[in-house]
Amino acid sequence: MNPLDKPWAQLTLALLAVLVLPLFLKSGILATEILIFAMVVAACNLLLGYTGLLSFGQGIFFGIGTYAAGICLTRWQIPVPLVLAGAAVLGAATATLVGWLSIRRQGVYFVMLTLAFSQLFYFVAYTFSGVTGGDNGLLGVPRPSIAGTALNAPWSYYTFVAVCFVAVFAILVVVTQSTFGRTLLAIRENEGRAAAIGFPTRLFKIEAFAISGAVTAFGGALHAMLIGVAPLSNIEYHTSELILIMTIIGGSSSLFGSVLGAGFYLLLADALSTVWPRWLLLLGLVLVAVALFLQRGLWGLVERGYDLVFRRQRAPETPAEEH
Amino acid sequence: MIYLFQVLNGIGLGMLYFLLAVGLSVIFGLLQFVNFAHGAFYLLGAYLTYDLTTRGFGFWAAMPLATLIVAGIAALIEAVLLHRIYKLPHTFHILVTVGLALVVQELVIIAWGPLGGSVPAPEGLQGVVILGDFIYPQYRLFTIGFTAVLAGLLWWLLEGTRLGAIVRGGSESPANMALLGYNTLRINTAVFGFGAGLAGLAGALAAPIRGVEPFMGIEALSVAFVVVVIGGMGSYTGALVAGLLVGVVQSVMTTLWPEGARLMIYVGMALVIALMPRGLLGRA
Repeated sequence: MNPLDKPWAQLTLALLAVLVLPLFLKSGILATEILIFAMVVAACNLLLGYTGLLSFGQGIFFGIGTYAAGICLTRWQIPVPLVLAGAAVLGAATATLVGWLSIRRQGVYFVMLTLAFSQLFYFVAYTFSGVTGGDNGLLGVPRPSIAGTALNAPWSYYTFVAVCFVAVFAILVVVTQSTFGRTLLAIRENEGRAAAIGFPTRLFKIEAFAISGAVTAFGGALHAMLIGVAPLSNIEYHTSELILIMTIIGGSSSLFGSVLGAGFYLLLADALSTVWPRWLLLLGLVLVAVALFLQRGLWGLVERGYDLVFRRQRAPETPAEEH
Repeated sequence: MIYLFQVLNGIGLGMLYFLLAVGLSVIFGLLQFVNFAHGAFYLLGAYLTYDLTTRGFGFWAAMPLATLIVAGIAALIEAVLLHRIYKLPHTFHILVTVGLALVVQELVIIAWGPLGGSVPAPEGLQGVVILGDFIYPQYRLFTIGFTAVLAGLLWWLLEGTRLGAIVRGGSESPANMALLGYNTLRINTAVFGFGAGLAGLAGALAAPIRGVEPFMGIEALSVAFVVVVIGGMGSYTGALVAGLLVGVVQSVMTTLWPEGARLMIYVGMALVIALMPRGLLGRA
């Protein structure tokens, strides 16, 4: 195994990312958005990379978290930690329901079902505009405050999100390293065999869905506080597609790949969208190129680069190897 | 009377959904390929019809022309790009076709703008049919008749002809078909073009009813998925029954609860999945 895939290396990389982003980015908003999507994409990766479930429904849970935060914070005075916890619980509950229904079908049907469910929840949010604000969304979602001071400045909110991100990432690392995570891998590799050994595979898949949904909704709630709005677009098909695209571009073989995927996408979007409004055309071509030439995603590239450097240092095997 | 009107609307809509789903189903059946660009071909069919009619072509020329162009473009994409990725996992099929769908959508916006437009009903079908106190637009009646004939032809083509036997044989065992001397590569290209052409035709037929806008592909894709999930993939009858069911539910709900009409399609799907996970007519 590549040493970079070890859990401690992954966690260290995540910490590094948190520290490096402020050094290279001018916009605290963009940096915060990257961290939020990084955790959401890692949660998608728990399904895709570890369980082998390609979910087109992650936007549902993201949107649910967004609306949970939007409704609680604009209509009632509920403390932020409670709102975040509530969003996660609601996300887990929704994911359990969606997972339970979608897992009844396998393979391609499963993918189609998750996409159809993402449309279902979009139309729920669209139809019941009295609760969700419909097209306008819910305006005026406040930033959280700590010890009486609101985290209004972008970089102070970044710090708050960074702490959340590291905690969530650590939890996901622990989950994937646990017996539970190993079992998910077994299900991905050979579901029939895992079931024959006696694992209740459907239950495990639904649990993976629930964890993924909880993290995604948590991220959705943070996102609403970041942009100050709970918009309809957060529950759209487009958001589900976005999260999945980031996951695959990043590479599904490690959790940190997801951080790379989110960062790559959002930085690309930020750089290109001001230059050319039709930049999604380029994104489409990038997706085709990734499928053809970069099937292990950006993380695969990192692994390859690491091996190259590592082997070069080792290859001479001569006394020259000293520094 | 309003319900009869909406049921007829629903049948017309449902037949378009059936065309979409059957194209998706045929492609998956033969190639084991998940085509997330299916909605993009529908979008392209609608826009080409829009473009050709504004250039002075009549609808009767524009509709078949648009269908053929979409089928040709799809066959070209298959021959150049897609056949390389069949052996990869479904994830990469989805990635490539989602990418293609984005490219098509953005090209449509570049070519025709983001606002969309309307396509007039064809000459000779712009009026209404009056039966006693029941009034119905001629064009909508035409789509019902036309797609019904088409459905019959399709059934005959897939179940009753040598070509259909080849396609079905290819989906059972591509290796055996190759042994029998069929060029499976060329069959794959043709079938992909054919399936995409059906989506293009659905778009062309839908254009005079609902107009064109750049994001109509996504809605079409998810409806096609719903129809396939409810009906059962690969089942021709399933696609027909589910397409009609979805169309009629959507239309009738437009009268009962306009804001929730499209929501009810998906609620219906969730109910079917909860009660019969395999779909109405699905086997495995």
